[in-house]
Amino acid sequence: MNTYLIYFIVAIGLFSFSAFFALFGVYAERKISAFIQDRLGPTETGKFGSLQTLADILKMIQKELIIPAAADKWLFMLAPAVIFIAVYMGFAALPWAPGLIPSKINLGIYYIFAIISVETLGILMAGWGSNNKYSILGAMRSAAQIISYEIPAGFAIISVVMIAQTLNLQDVAMQQGILATEKIKFAGFWDVSGIGGLFSWNIFRAPHLIIAFVIYFIASLAESNRAPFDIPEAESELVAGFHTEFTGIRFALVFLAEYSMMFLVSMIGVILFLGAWNTPLPNIGPVHLATWTTGMAWGILWVSLKTLALVAVQMWIRWTLPRFRVDQLMDLCWKVLTPLAFACMLISGVWRLWLM
Amino acid sequence: MTLLRVLFYFLSFIAIVSALYAASSKNLVRSIFVFFVTLFSLAGLYVLALADFVAVTQVVIYVGGILVLILFAFMLSGKETLNVLQKQEGKFLSMKKLPAILLAVLFFVVLINVVFKANADNLPWVRDAISLKNEITPKDIMIDNIGVNLMTRYLLPFEAISILLLVALVGAAHLSRKEGKA
Repeated sequence: MNTYLIYFIVAIGLFSFSAFFALFGVYAERKISAFIQDRLGPTETGKFGSLQTLADILKMIQKELIIPAAADKWLFMLAPAVIFIAVYMGFAALPWAPGLIPSKINLGIYYIFAIISVETLGILMAGWGSNNKYSILGAMRSAAQIISYEIPAGFAIISVVMIAQTLNLQDVAMQQGILATEKIKFAGFWDVSGIGGLFSWNIFRAPHLIIAFVIYFIASLAESNRAPFDIPEAESELVAGFHTEFTGIRFALVFLAEYSMMFLVSMIGVILFLGAWNTPLPNIGPVHLATWTTGMAWGILWVSLKTLALVAVQMWIRWTLPRFRVDQLMDLCWKVLTPLAFACMLISGVWRLWLM
Repeated sequence: MTLLRVLFYFLSFIAIVSALYAASSKNLVRSIFVFFVTLFSLAGLYVLALADFVAVTQVVIYVGGILVLILFAFMLSGKETLNVLQKQEGKFLSMKKLPAILLAVLFFVVLINVVFKANADNLPWVRDAISLKNEITPKDIMIDNIGVNLMTRYLLPFEAISILLLVALVGAAHLSRKEGKA
């Protein structure tokens, strides 16, 4: 029975982590946007406004739950739960440190890819259930966008998987540092198996993966409906898109899902391309920086730092770039990113055969 | 009862109930969403059968692809068209529905026959595999096996399917193209 207890604790832990991250993320987003636009952001509640999001969530919980008269009641009520659970289940297969992973499944990345696509269904549910023009338009835009951008993201992921030869995220992470069991070469010529650090990360092991990483990052912005790909909730056209009609705790769930999704896609990017929980510091001669900074606590620290850095870049992009038009969005996906991703996949195959 | 068995019956129960609802509901959009539950519990059953790759593929293709496309078709067609589709005239049993009923009953007879004649508990090839220790355990990594088999033993069907998909793709591109001026 004890093992089942551990499962429950892990599940609750992941949930509270994503809730905590959403609180922190909203605050960070406000402060970063304020900095970029030369404002102050929240200042009143708590020191530097740090309790602002807590106050927001308290307000959110107390609000009345309104169901529009003409809405499809069941779809409307279940939609936020489906959206959030789809993202939350993705967290199950992410490795945090050497030997620390909630669920060690050998299909890791494929499973996450599958479970994230369920979110589309939740968004369509919300759009249709609300029985509102704006909601349904937002939902359809969102679905079209997510389905399209899954293709370049998928091929960017495949080009990593071809180099790593495994779908297990823990194994992918293991290969990118000093704990690797096989021979790791920097850019295909310099053996860095014992050196580790920055040089054994996937983007430096095979430099074409830098392009794949950029493709993946752009596609992941689109998949989490973030600006400049936020046409599903374009305020100036669609009020708030698919979550126009949601109030109170349901709206909070949609928001929670968005921020969890940001963290999830960033963490997948970190694990696949940026060395997962491995340290960026290499072993230099007798100074074993990499060996000193590898371990359980260090792993959690590194992966969190890298992921938070990527999340910060996502926020930076949101407050810097203007929104894409629908046709520009599709052009970028099908005419630029997809061919490039295909090229990356081809290079990966050649690289694996001749240079590794 | 072991946990495995409880899970099996639980998932099959959900699959059957949701499938019945999807088939009988008059609200078409809702029945699509319930169909999603059916597909998900089927994926769960695949996992119980140690076919985790099939389970994940099921979710990717059916939930992420096909269901969303069906919903798209629905949402593009508007409420009036849907209302005509949803209006079911006449009684439950009528002359018009005879072919459908016939087909369903015949298929049901075939399935029942398979279930009773197959004798799934001691199929010869299953017994052979168990005696030769040539079976899958929950710890095995099946993806290498699947990849190698697709590229060797099942290469012809694999390529045939890819050509079929290519044909569909070209057809779709042709249909959606604007008419030329000529």
